[in-house]
Amino acid sequence: MSQTSAGDQKYFLPRAGLEPLVGILRQRGYTVLAPTRRDEIIALAPVESADQIARGVHDHQDGGRYRLTQADPEVMFEYGPGADSPKRYLFPPELPLVELRVRGNRFIPTSQPPAIAQYAFLGIRACELAAIKVQDRVFGLEGQDTLCADAAEYYRRTRRRALLIAVNCTRPGGTCFCASMGTGPAATEGFDLSLTELRDGFLLTVGSQAGAALGAELDLRAPTSAEEGLAEMKLAAARAHMPRHLDTRGLKERLEQTIDDPNWERVAARCLSCGNCTMVCPTCFCFTVSDSSGLTDGVYGRTRRWESCFSHQFSYVAGSGPVRSTIAARYRHWLRHKLCTWQDQFGVSGCVGCGRCITWCPVGIDLTEEAQRLGRHVPGAGAVPIPKAGGTKEALP
Amino acid sequence: MIQHVADMDYRPPPGMGGWLPVEATIVNIQPENFNTRTFTLRFVDESLCESYRFEPGQFNMLFVPGVGEAAISISSSPYQIGALDHTIRMVGAVTRGIDRIGVGGIVGVRGPFGRGWPLHKLAGKDVIIVGGGIGLAPLRPLIHWLLRHREQCRRVVLLYGCRSPEDRLYAAELEAWSGRSDLDVLVTVDNADEHWTGPVGVVTNLLRRIKVNAEQTVVFVCGPRVLNRAAAWNFLQLHVPPAQVYVSLERNMNCGFGRCGHCQYGKHFVCRDGPVFCFADIADIFAKEEI
Ligand SMILES: Cc1cc2nc3c(=O)[nH]c(=O)nc-3n(C[C@H](O)[C@H](O)[C@H](O)COP(=O)(O)OP(=O)(O)OC[C@H]3O[C@@H](n4cnc5c(N)ncnc54)[C@H](O)[C@@H]3O)c2cc1C
Ligand code: SF4
Ligand code: SF4
Ligand code: FES
Repeated sequence: MSQTSAGDQKYFLPRAGLEPLVGILRQRGYTVLAPTRRDEIIALAPVESADQIARGVHDHQDGGRYRLTQADPEVMFEYGPGADSPKRYLFPPELPLVELRVRGNRFIPTSQPPAIAQYAFLGIRACELAAIKVQDRVFGLEGQDTLCADAAEYYRRTRRRALLIAVNCTRPGGTCFCASMGTGPAATEGFDLSLTELRDGFLLTVGSQAGAALGAELDLRAPTSAEEGLAEMKLAAARAHMPRHLDTRGLKERLEQTIDDPNWERVAARCLSCGNCTMVCPTCFCFTVSDSSGLTDGVYGRTRRWESCFSHQFSYVAGSGPVRSTIAARYRHWLRHKLCTWQDQFGVSGCVGCGRCITWCPVGIDLTEEAQRLGRHVPGAGAVPIPKAGGTKEALP
Repeated sequence: MIQHVADMDYRPPPGMGGWLPVEATIVNIQPENFNTRTFTLRFVDESLCESYRFEPGQFNMLFVPGVGEAAISISSSPYQIGALDHTIRMVGAVTRGIDRIGVGGIVGVRGPFGRGWPLHKLAGKDVIIVGGGIGLAPLRPLIHWLLRHREQCRRVVLLYGCRSPEDRLYAAELEAWSGRSDLDVLVTVDNADEHWTGPVGVVTNLLRRIKVNAEQTVVFVCGPRVLNRAAAWNFLQLHVPPAQVYVSLERNMNCGFGRCGHCQYGKHFVCRDGPVFCFADIADIFAKEEI
């Protein structure tokens, strides 16, 4: 889909226009995935009506902490991302790849390739668009494999059919640092439509031809200059109040020198190696394909599941056990992969600054703090205190 | 210009990169030692027998339905068309599963994967091959290749170490190689028996018995981690340039084609960027623990 340059076409979409938008998408065969309020978190889930989209709530996120509180019932998207991300749908946590029977000396596939859904993501954030872009690289969006059962092929097909309607963040979550990573709080590319919430509607930006076609079916009007100005102000405020910060200048080069850093041991003393950070991370791509056998029907299954580099079996080698046997080694691998070696592998940072790994870490380990500390070690001086990062927690009203 | 197998296209044949492995019959099982056997596989699909090519040092993912897959080096000569050897040590679920299947049964194959030994680096060089234990398996296709292209390089030396004389892989072939004038073979064992007349001790001790012309030497190493380290270290001490030392590494593998993340080694995916690495490319992490 060819993307026209963002910002060219701006419109005003009244709040009441969301319902028809959902309707049109559903009519076109999309499963509409939007943030919903479920089990006291914001979860990306299929909706049939705009009424099901979470509204009137604020989220409060901090290291190891996530709460929703009641807010003005009229506001819709004043919360940050929950644990979920589009990754759950484009790269599902569990995907049956193939089932087979053994007949004589042949393997007979008894399953169809996984069905490819048609998703419209409504209300995803700039950092999530950035994460999709990262996974586009990881899975080689432009590539082509012969079998749909290939790990990347499912992603590519689902991704190519997906429609992305972004919402710009006017109230960043407490663990966000997208401004540092250059990914948010406003979506600048990679979307079909983007929305900035105003008092009684949205400033809508068209980002692609598919988005323009969709916009043509909506009840849009030209925005007033006051509306455009307000949207800008809200986004500038969000940027200014970004609660966390990561100094990315020279970060990769600094992290390259950190293999022997004493700070890994310090983190390891707190890290439970639970793998939450990798499960919630919208860019982590590791998986394990495991085999099963139907005891009675003779059908063997191969299933792909998310895997975490924090698990024992991840690096397990027969005879000598896990290569990364210590938590320090696993945390080191994880952080260096996200912020350093990912760039060697895929040409982008593996972190988009969404803050999920901080929020969902049961002990509240903050990678922005850890990354600041690393590589500043003076030999013989032991672990050094962390230089004060810019910004404070939960700065917005 | 060396004409070698690596000039061919090594992309896995269609279908073999996905998750449905292709069927191969176990046509022979050759015992090597108490827990290692060489399985000769023949694709059920005859056309694949003809078209399948690999590079010495590459591996296949061997599949046992309902059990799993294991990365196993191809251990036969690249010129042996139609039948592929895999020398397997029985250590866990998949490897024992293959053993249970027996001659006439079928296993699944995906591959070949990875980058093998850099055959284009050998012209006019002395080649020193260092293997330990099961590590001889991925070196065997290399040796077969070298014997076919013997005129391309100068000396070829094989240093091989294992626990005891009975633990030697390819014992008959080692004997035959020892008798050749164009190949220097030195085998050492940790524990000798009364019939053993060769050297005893770790394989790096054998270095004292050969003359290393550092600048002119290319080294290929595959063994357990301690051996890889010791061998690389010894050759670097002898001033063999880091760009001429190659090591084949082992990591947990699940996909074999650079997607599952399991085999990461710093910035490298061992299944895709290796398993054979040039020391110069991994010098920053090779000596580090738990990377
Ligand atoms: C490039 C490469 C080449 C290899 N070549 C040979 C060979 O020629 N002969 C041989 O006997 N062995 C070889 N190995 C080691 C072999 O892969 C393991 O012994 C085997 O995977 C163990 O599987 P298992 O199911 O029997 O053991 P389990 O202990 O049951 O292992 C469970 C699973 O963990 C993974 N795993 C465990 N150990 C390893 C390992 N060392 N490497 C990769 N994945 C592992 C596999 O997916 C395996 O199925 C090679 C490994 C690599 C990486
Ligand atoms: S590493 Fe943490 S902050 Fe960065 S993208 Fe992943 S979950 Fe978000
Ligand atoms: S951080 Fe760990 S789980 Fe995430 S992609 Fe890297 S290796 Fe995989
Ligand atoms: S084995 Fe899957 S990435 Fe290397």
